[in-house]
Amino acid sequence: MPAAVASARSQLARLDALTACGPDAFLLDLELEQAPPDFAPGAFAMLSPGHGGGPVIARPFSVYDRLDERRLRFLIQVLGRGTRHLCALVPGDAVQITVPLGNGFEVAPAGEPVVMVAGGVGSAPFLMYAQRRIAAGAAADTHFLFGARSADRLYDQDAFAALDMPMHTATDDGSSGYHGNLVQLLTDLLERAQLPAEARFCACGPEGLLHAFATFARARGLRAELSLETYMGCGFGVCNACPIPTEPSGPLGHWPWARTCVDGPVFALSSIRF
Amino acid sequence: MLETRLGELHLASPLLTASGTFGHDPAALAFLHPGDLGALVLKTVTPEPRHGNAPPRMVEFEGGVMNSIGLENKGLAYWREQVAPKLASVGVPVVANAGGHCAADYRLMVEAFSDMPGVAAIELNLSCPNVVGGTQFSSDAVALAEVVSLCRAATSKALWVKLSPNVPAIAPLAQAAEQAGADALTVCNTLAGLLIDWRTRKPRLGNGCGGMSGPAVRPLATRLVWESSQAVKIPVIASGGAESADDVLDFLVAGASAVQVGTACFRRPDVISLIAADLRRILAEEGLRLEQMVGTLRWPETVSC
Ligand SMILES: Cc1cc2nc3c(=O)[nH]c(=O)nc-3n(C[C@H](O)[C@H](O)[C@H](O)COP(=O)(O)OP(=O)(O)OC[C@H]3O[C@@H](n4cnc5c(N)ncnc54)[C@H](O)[C@@H]3O)c2cc1C
Ligand SMILES: Cc1cc2nc3c(=O)[nH]c(=O)nc-3n(C[C@H](O)[C@H](O)[C@H](O)COP(=O)(O)O)c2cc1C
Ligand code: FES
Repeated sequence: MPAAVASARSQLARLDALTACGPDAFLLDLELEQAPPDFAPGAFAMLSPGHGGGPVIARPFSVYDRLDERRLRFLIQVLGRGTRHLCALVPGDAVQITVPLGNGFEVAPAGEPVVMVAGGVGSAPFLMYAQRRIAAGAAADTHFLFGARSADRLYDQDAFAALDMPMHTATDDGSSGYHGNLVQLLTDLLERAQLPAEARFCACGPEGLLHAFATFARARGLRAELSLETYMGCGFGVCNACPIPTEPSGPLGHWPWARTCVDGPVFALSSIRF
Repeated sequence: MLETRLGELHLASPLLTASGTFGHDPAALAFLHPGDLGALVLKTVTPEPRHGNAPPRMVEFEGGVMNSIGLENKGLAYWREQVAPKLASVGVPVVANAGGHCAADYRLMVEAFSDMPGVAAIELNLSCPNVVGGTQFSSDAVALAEVVSLCRAATSKALWVKLSPNVPAIAPLAQAAEQAGADALTVCNTLAGLLIDWRTRKPRLGNGCGGMSGPAVRPLATRLVWESSQAVKIPVIASGGAESADDVLDFLVAGASAVQVGTACFRRPDVISLIAADLRRILAEEGLRLEQMVGTLRWPETVSC
């Protein structure tokens, strides 16, 4: 089992703050009792209300930001029962957390350009990724493409705008930045040589976006990595509820499935059937 | 304080993991304090690798989850090479769980596990609702007795038989397993169920039907533990919805000698350590010992059931 799971701890955290973000999302800040070890951007946590109630199983969320040693921030879009319960908590409430889980993105070394493609709350793994790149002096080589249905769903846009890196937005309704979807924006930027085609392209977002991105990346021969979402039972590798089909004879071996929670959630596009 | 005897086995605690909910290998033990877990029951292994069912494989409903994993596992050869060598040094007895298509498969698995020094006991999964033929042995007392006898003849290790809740009466099956030589019964596996998404008109699980587990099944599991423990002399191990020390004590009162904690581990991987701490506290506060609890249900005399 990957090292990330061996270092994961389960504990009760205290809800520090819950701030509305856009029409349907929240920033959820937790203060943990025990500081988690270092983790890669794109690593995730399993969260559930701490004192019973709510769903039977926890829900996975990328760590959005590490505010300090013991405080973690999450960006959570309210969809169904699990996210509704979490976002109905109030400061001081307990939250059950298991963290850090999953592989996360391997941060590309300075000198190697990176293009991040984020749809909606798919931005979550990229704030920390961008911070790492900037800390390594690679800001100019780190491109952030942020897309959503409309401007108000470019969640917490200012946090990214405050970072010193090239950023482009796209909205389906044209209310901010490029009028169109992220794949159209990518096409446009590549054609105008505004993006380095030899970069690592890292994507996270809704399934529709990831499929369109995967098709595009394969057609262009881009080096691509995806952070994927599946239903999860445990998040730490014991239940086999999170299978992703693997590419036969690919780097993940001959078994037809990988577990998204421990083998992922970040996969090289060439290693999976997606 | 939590020491538990299960036939010939001496366990540090009555709390066990449940097959398929704590992994294929000992890695997740890192979440637990030593001494809290009585035995590590691992995921079902079959003679040949199984790729499992189409996703989604687990979905939730109020009170529980439904799964149709389909016994995904890498098969006996892989297990023998990659898993078995790790077991002897984990510091807790390990229970290997055997699956198969036919009686000969079960016998083959039991023979193989029997030769592995790290395996303390063998649990027969005769009750998986998620594979074709998964429950044929657990619904027919004659077929059940046949497969258990075959396996009994193949091992001197402790042999546990995991029964299905999807039967009209559990007592005849419990007795058949006991007479065929089982050392303990695990009661019970998941309940066959179906969840639908009316918008798409489709089942919510990729494989259609699935098995229910979690808090919602606890009343049913409790009744089956009670009925089967009344029917046999061998120990009964409860499995179905346990989440807390109170749930564990309820199961003991119903007649269980030990309790497997499955679905609850998903939400809190260290839940078994939390339950163990609570159990110690409750026993100390109440001045009770675990073995005083087992099978002490006081049935109301005026009520028939
Ligand atoms: C590794 C990982 C990281 C994630 N990070 C974030 C994050 O940072 N922020 C964030 O907001 N969300 C994130 N998600 C998604 C988040 O886990 C889900 O939105 C959440 O579990 C939904 O739970 P719910 O109970 O509110 O909704 P549910 O009631 O479970 O579902 C609501 C609706 O969404 C559908 N749905 C939910 N999950 C899936 C799925 N996996 N595949 C297909 N359909 C699905 C359901 O069918 C339903 O229609 C992440 C997921 C993974 C796997
Ligand atoms: C995801 C999942 C996988 C399971 N896999 C197995 C298995 O491989 N073999 C088995 O005997 N039981 C399996 N079970 C059943 C459990 O061991 C247990 O009997 C059942 O879930 C009821 O207990 P619980 O409510 O505590 O989970 C599985 C259950 C779940 C939820
Ligand atoms: S969610 Fe349980 S194995 Fe991945």
